Amino acid sequence: MVQTGSALLRRRSGIVGIVFVAFLLPYQNRGVCGQEASGDESNSSNIQQPLQVPERSVKEKSVDLFQASVLPILAARCYRCHSSQAAEPEAGLLLDSALGLATGGETGRVVVPGHPEESLLIEAILSEDNPMPPDERLSQLEITTLTNWIALGAEDPRGASATVEITDPDYTLARQYWAFRPVEEQVIPPVQNEAWPSNTIDRFVLAKLEQNGLQPAPVASARTLLRRLYFDVTGLPPTPGEVAEFEKDSSDAHYAKVVDRLLDSPRYGERFAQLWLDLVRFAETEGFEYDREMNGIWRYRDYVIQSFNNNKPYNQFLMEQLAGDEMAPNDFEHRIAAGFLRLGAVRRNAGNQKVASSRNEVLTERTDIVGSVVLGMTIGCARCHDHKFDAIPQQDYYRLQAYFAASVEDDVSMQDDAQAKARQKRTAELEREIDELKATIANLDGAAEETARLQIAELEAQIPPPGPTICSITNEFEPEPVTHLLRRGDPNLPGPVVGMQTPGVVTRENSCATNNSTTPRTNLAKELTRPDHPLTARVMVNRIWQHHFGSGIVSTANDFGKNGSGPSHPELLDYLANRFVSSDWNIKTLHREILLSNAYRQSSQSADNFAGTSVDPANRLLWRFSRRRLSGEEIRDAMLSVSGELNLGMAGASILLPVEQQLIDQLYKPTQWEVTANPQEHNRRSVYLMSKRNLRLPFMEVFDQPSAQTSCASRVQSTHARQSLELLNGDISNRLAESFARRLEQECESTHGRVELAYQLIASRFPTDKEAEISRCFIERFGLSEFALAMFNVNAFLYVD
Amino acid sequence: MNRFNRKSMRRDFLQNSYGGLGALALSTMLPGGSPGYVSSRAAGSQADSPLQFSGPAKSVIFLFMAGGPSHIETFDPKPLLNRLDGQPRPASFGEAKYQFVANDAKLLGSHVTYQRYGESGIPVSSLFPNIAKCIDDIAVVRSCFGDVVVHSAAQYELFSGRTTPGFPSMGSWVTYGLGSLNDALPSYVVLPDPDGALEAGQPMYMNGFLPAAHQPIMLRSGKSPILNLAPPSHVDRTTRRHTIELIAELNRAALTNHDDELEARIDSYELAYKMQTEAPQVFDLSDETAETLELYGMNQPETEDYGRRCLLARRMVEKGVRFTVVVSGGGPGNMQWDAHKDIVENHDRMAGETDRPIAGLLVDLKRRGLLDSTLVLWGGEFGRSPEAQSSKGRDHHNLGFTMWMAGGGIRGGQVVGATDEIGLKAVENPYHFRDIHTTILNQLGIDQDQLTFPHLGRDERLTQIHGKVIREIVG
Repeated sequence: MVQTGSALLRRRSGIVGIVFVAFLLPYQNRGVCGQEASGDESNSSNIQQPLQVPERSVKEKSVDLFQASVLPILAARCYRCHSSQAAEPEAGLLLDSALGLATGGETGRVVVPGHPEESLLIEAILSEDNPMPPDERLSQLEITTLTNWIALGAEDPRGASATVEITDPDYTLARQYWAFRPVEEQVIPPVQNEAWPSNTIDRFVLAKLEQNGLQPAPVASARTLLRRLYFDVTGLPPTPGEVAEFEKDSSDAHYAKVVDRLLDSPRYGERFAQLWLDLVRFAETEGFEYDREMNGIWRYRDYVIQSFNNNKPYNQFLMEQLAGDEMAPNDFEHRIAAGFLRLGAVRRNAGNQKVASSRNEVLTERTDIVGSVVLGMTIGCARCHDHKFDAIPQQDYYRLQAYFAASVEDDVSMQDDAQAKARQKRTAELEREIDELKATIANLDGAAEETARLQIAELEAQIPPPGPTICSITNEFEPEPVTHLLRRGDPNLPGPVVGMQTPGVVTRENSCATNNSTTPRTNLAKELTRPDHPLTARVMVNRIWQHHFGSGIVSTANDFGKNGSGPSHPELLDYLANRFVSSDWNIKTLHREILLSNAYRQSSQSADNFAGTSVDPANRLLWRFSRRRLSGEEIRDAMLSVSGELNLGMAGASILLPVEQQLIDQLYKPTQWEVTANPQEHNRRSVYLMSKRNLRLPFMEVFDQPSAQTSCASRVQSTHARQSLELLNGDISNRLAESFARRLEQECESTHGRVELAYQLIASRFPTDKEAEISRCFIERFGLSEFALAMFNVNAFLYVD
Repeated sequence: MNRFNRKSMRRDFLQNSYGGLGALALSTMLPGGSPGYVSSRAAGSQADSPLQFSGPAKSVIFLFMAGGPSHIETFDPKPLLNRLDGQPRPASFGEAKYQFVANDAKLLGSHVTYQRYGESGIPVSSLFPNIAKCIDDIAVVRSCFGDVVVHSAAQYELFSGRTTPGFPSMGSWVTYGLGSLNDALPSYVVLPDPDGALEAGQPMYMNGFLPAAHQPIMLRSGKSPILNLAPPSHVDRTTRRHTIELIAELNRAALTNHDDELEARIDSYELAYKMQTEAPQVFDLSDETAETLELYGMNQPETEDYGRRCLLARRMVEKGVRFTVVVSGGGPGNMQWDAHKDIVENHDRMAGETDRPIAGLLVDLKRRGLLDSTLVLWGGEFGRSPEAQSSKGRDHHNLGFTMWMAGGGIRGGQVVGATDEIGLKAVENPYHFRDIHTTILNQLGIDQDQLTFPHLGRDERLTQIHGKVIREIVG
């Protein structure tokens, strides 16, 4: 016997136990209560037994002993740490159900029926070093009782899982929290400076500024404003011609026209899509060790771009992503949209690993992402325990997860049947041959083995590539999907069964769904997009606001809960949410209203910086416009644009740029980076570049592109030397600097002209005399290419004012 | 220490990430040196928060034995296993779930012999005759365990404490917590095995949601170890120096008034230049004596590569790099410690490549007085099964395996914890990866609960839930 008696307690954190009061627990198992039944199906198996007197009597004795004496001991002395009532069951051991007791904990079985001497439970109780329970030893009578019960066969008449009745908290108070209250009609606040507001947004902003003794900044110069607007809406700089035209006429009417033109440009969708792709952690490979490419998932990226360009109503956009396959199973666009639920990293199983844990990871991904993206809530926190800040009990997490219980991967072929069948047939033949070879290979050695491997590789190469495919999802109702609350989020510790419902704090009363819908996610999508949902519209308008101002009205855009920042302008948030819903969730209308506000058109330089920085250093009240650094995607796209190399081709499979061999070496399979053959394609916009989970482009990585592993609501904006090294020495900037220099050379005769053009392209302004002079001297000594590279590195290029 | 957990400051930093305060807040929230490569100007603002870390360790070197070295063949002798060779596992040892090995597999005895070394008399396997001589500096933790038995997820857990990707690695957490000791060098460096990549790929080493300044630098063998450290070959370096000056001049010319962020970016170019000129010196081994090169085994073909990288790790430590990972193993499984097919062939070879370099590193650190301030961690993402796989190999095994630590205030010459008599499960004082992480942070003077970063509504930390300091081995 190698195990020692202390094995059970090893994971204890040293809390001194408090004796649980025995009378709180009835000796008998409680019945199944409430609509949420326990997951137990073997409950009645002990009741109807054929009459076999001797056996029955032993068994009966054991059962009686359990009911009369064992259960009270377990309840009084063990449950505190080892039951589903414990916040975190010690050593994973649950003694409050037959299943838990029979399964044991992290160190294995604790009871061997008929053999108390081999039972860890008894060993732990008798241990000299670490007796269980740790606070006070069991009495000799208690020890004898447990020993006898095990000797008699350790009969446990209880159900497979603890029949803990789920009791929901009273949500009434929690629903009073601002984010869960219905969006309210807002009274437009009075302001002193009647001349400033250009629309209602401005009135809300100005009222707050005035309450705080602040003034808005003056309007930005035409050039600054236009450059800001272009990057903001399209992710690209304006041409010098566009700047000149706007400088001639920067009237409100002309500005509004430019806003409309840009929102109608296909470049808008390419730019705004990035916000959504960050949120949904879009990447095209599965991560983990295989990092396998998800076939056709790039169609989802095009779907997002097209949806924004077509101004698809946001409610429809959400419906399609959450339930497109249920709504229109034969419509490609809907199936592509539902690819949203495929986007997390996936751990594939190899060998004899259990599927349960990786399935659980997939469901976790689907649940958490909906919580973050749609609800702006950190609902994922409630996976292992009740939410620590918000009124989301653990059962609410699994009720949301229940909507996804039937969802399984579905790769939809876009080929017609004949094509698909021919391909399948050929694939099946080849795979059979490969399998046969693989079966023999184990018995081969040396040269024979090598030959077999080569044959396999040849056969594998012949497998026809999959035809056009949609990476989507569907429902599978056989076997019937059941969702358990999982203790500690562990699939090995199932608790009660739960039904489908969105979190109680945002659920309309009586909206509780059942477990047997054939369109569970349609139900979910309808519930989330109901016009009076307290979060869906608020969360999205806040994201759009953040896109334009750099920071949201709620600056923690994925956390509207109590631990989040709270709204700086609660009335404005509700005003916008109302407008959004009443305009049929019209995204472009909202962009337009924000872009036309004077709040947006402010300069980044306030007339009174001192007052602003002392009252509101973070500029949450918008006393000026917040300067931002361009994202990695914008920097690259702008370099392509100004150097005249930008390929504006849209849609299609993603582009793999040539990268340093040392990066490819970091892929587990270097063949997973096949550079796109046509070099023209290398100049496509960054949104079309391949996004692999296991290898990010260093250029994007240093400029804070998120990892695509978890939802990113707003990017960190850091400043560090590796960014400078990338722009100074990297291949992308050096190559484009050559092109940029060529363009300057071709378009202007004089050095002075070239410097002026460079500044117009890079910064949408003319150089100052000083800048022009410095630049001219430099070009004369070191040439135009080095100057062009420097232009990609100056702050006037990298920041938007 | 209470100043360290400046939650509100960090939150402001995130909230203002577009507001121009990023670099400033970033540096003020990071005591003990500027984080990553944030400029010295921005870092200057921390002069009024001179938080001192009191841990004995200043740097960490992780000797990462990728693929999972067998505890049974290295530091955890199992005589009973040899006696039970070829038999099924006795039921009394309990159950284990392997990736490939079936439940009816037979136990596999070990080909190695063990001998006691040093004053401590700790048994070390015949695979490591050189490391054995350093055993009095080493604390062997025989009771490590993790939660998963597949490479990728286990590697994520080893580095980040989570079995899924996307969380910051321990190296990123350490640089986030401690900042850099030398602006001209990255503070977190990974030296991968030239044989190829690992299952968990790059995300294993990455910064997750921590700012990009806490990304590791991957050092390659060959002429240009750091990506983008040198200009393209056709560019004249002197010219490029003038270009950097031009950038600074134009940036200054455009500055109208004091502006922290824009000035931080100006400084980041100075730093980039400094890195460009000073970092390559680390790779120039011409100032090392022949005796030192030999000490690391660089005179032998099988130890040349790992020896070079161990020597580079020492040079990094000397230059103030906080966290260095020296990976043994890469590419296909058998090029790692992943001995599914033949434990003898695989482990003899892998140990042969690393024994001398590792011993050389420990000896060299010690004689230079660096071992006290450098914590050396050895181990992989799991150990290997007591059962045989395809007769001569061993499968992955996460329920009990060995890691060891030396230096950085660790009390060497002792064994902590134990697996059962066949090496199946950690049965005495089991330590999870999070306990290893907690101990590393502890030695660096960081309280695990205070090194946090807000992410999706949680103040995330390396150890997720509370880890234990391995008290037996800390000074």
